[in-house]
Amino acid sequence: MEKYSGITKETLLNLKEKLKDGVLPQWVLADRDMYDLEINQIFGRTWQFLAHESEFKEPGSYVTRWIANDPILLTKTKSGEIKAFLNSCAHRGTLLCTADSGNQKSFTCPFHGWTYNNEGDLVGIAVGNKVYGEEMNKEDWNLRPVPNVDSYQGMIFGNLDPNAESLSDYLGNMKWYLDMMLGRSDGGMEVQGSPQRYVVEANWKVTAENFESDPYHVQFTHKSSKEIGLAPNDPFFPGHGHQVVLDNGHGINLVQFDDTGVSPIPYQGMPDSMWPMFQKNLNKAQNDMVKDTFFVGGVYPNLGFLQFSLPLLDSDNGLYNFLNFRVWRPIAPDKVEVWSWHMIDREAPPEYKEKSYVTFLGTFGPSGLLEQDDAEIWSRVTQASNGIMAQDKDLSYNSFLNYLMGMDRVQPNEDFPGPGVAYPLCFLDTLSRSMHKRWIDLLLNETAVKEEVL
Amino acid sequence: MKQQEAVKGLTTTIEIQNEITQFLYKEAHLLDSRNYRGWLDLLAEDIVYQMPARITNEGKHDTPNIDYKSRFFEETKQSLVTRVKRLDTTSSAWAEISGPRQRHFISNVFIESGKMNDGNEEYFVRSNFLFKRNRGSSLTSEELFGAREDVIRKENGEWKVASRIIYPDQAVLGTINLSMFL
Repeated sequence: MEKYSGITKETLLNLKEKLKDGVLPQWVLADRDMYDLEINQIFGRTWQFLAHESEFKEPGSYVTRWIANDPILLTKTKSGEIKAFLNSCAHRGTLLCTADSGNQKSFTCPFHGWTYNNEGDLVGIAVGNKVYGEEMNKEDWNLRPVPNVDSYQGMIFGNLDPNAESLSDYLGNMKWYLDMMLGRSDGGMEVQGSPQRYVVEANWKVTAENFESDPYHVQFTHKSSKEIGLAPNDPFFPGHGHQVVLDNGHGINLVQFDDTGVSPIPYQGMPDSMWPMFQKNLNKAQNDMVKDTFFVGGVYPNLGFLQFSLPLLDSDNGLYNFLNFRVWRPIAPDKVEVWSWHMIDREAPPEYKEKSYVTFLGTFGPSGLLEQDDAEIWSRVTQASNGIMAQDKDLSYNSFLNYLMGMDRVQPNEDFPGPGVAYPLCFLDTLSRSMHKRWIDLLLNETAVKEEVL
Repeated sequence: MKQQEAVKGLTTTIEIQNEITQFLYKEAHLLDSRNYRGWLDLLAEDIVYQMPARITNEGKHDTPNIDYKSRFFEETKQSLVTRVKRLDTTSSAWAEISGPRQRHFISNVFIESGKMNDGNEEYFVRSNFLFKRNRGSSLTSEELFGAREDVIRKENGEWKVASRIIYPDQAVLGTINLSMFL
């Protein structure tokens, strides 16, 4: 790549040099050319979360999603297979299905009436034989499939790059942790209803980093929630635990409530009747993590997750566990559409599931007391990143953001029992530096490297 | 519940229509002026306060399009008290510091029916809302709009919101958070 509308290879190499010093220039948060480059080089080439298998109740179930600007239609076929297509009629490009979800055997385009079954096959052309004759081969005009679709632990991903590495290779050692979060119960996880959707005024890198690698913000952004008792009111919370740097920019924080290493609520407060099942499905290291820690992290570039236990807003009794996955869909340099799914173990008692969901509503999502403040702060970063000083691309100027926390000071825990490079602290920028290193390597179209000490 | 009262529908008089409309306007005024303690006093102790998600379904124009499983609010009186407490007692509720200017435009107040419930008059009331807010020096304002279904109850001579379901018209919310009350 020689030049991409204003951004040259030299620009990117300079950014890479700066990242080695632990700084990220602020201009990359609000630059249109950078955004366009990211859409092609990152969102066009990485595995993107599309749906959870529990969103497809029976054959014929479908949902519509987006990979950045690409509309995607996912269907469950008669045989139970889940397929993904560009949600665009192969005839003249119309958005084929406008619904968010439903159940249909076929999809008819409202423009000229071409009809596709849920295998993506063109099965009907209005007055076809009379106008196209027999020489047109219908098979040439099926829905365009997403080049790569695969799933892991019920999580369905798509990749727009025909030459992409496999999902398994892409997730790498993140799979061990996904097994822990999603595979602890016999029936796996299930979603509660449609995903919540809302738009925040932020660059996708800011929101992605906020979830994956920045527990440090919790102590101040969420100070009010800590003060009213929603989370431990310790200035160092959630700093205790491990930050784990994983392959390809992925990562996870294993958060402890305090410095004892033992959770006051074993197994994240899940009903004790379920503990033997967790012990059966997890290996010893995973079991110990589920028993004594809580998880927040991300699958690079834009899938964040949180498996935490928090109280209901109307009760002092009990903490309820939930798993939240969220896609940060970029829609502009300064706009992200948030897609947020609540998940809980399919095997959990129905009353627990509802309490888990209401706990999630009280704390996360747009109505959640913690996330309300996140969205406000993200938008304040946007408001301050568009000016001449913040946008200064002369990298000799001091227009950098600070990612120096823990750099060269905190060494990995060599005895850590899980995969990845684990640091014995969550207030750390090591994972952020790993994310941004992956970011620049994707922009430079360089081969991914396995996790390394940063 | 007294059966004979439960089955007897109440007549909606012009006085009742006026009282309930004024009650909803007063509620909007308390919210707009950030008198959240005063607002909480208008809510019954057993209030049910919900906001399900709007989705887009395929089908004819009148296809139902609320996903009751997916919600934004599922509140009790106490959880609403907790939300207000965060704003009133801490100095770091950043979403509301300082509070954005907000207006609740309540219209189309329509009393569909009324009945006696456990000795109290209760009216099933529909209204529309348009919520606008502006913060800082922003040149753009956020908005949410939709419909509300309320049960408005007369308790010891005072009107209270006994139940509220908020139906947003946006499938993708147009506000960066839901730090307001609707």
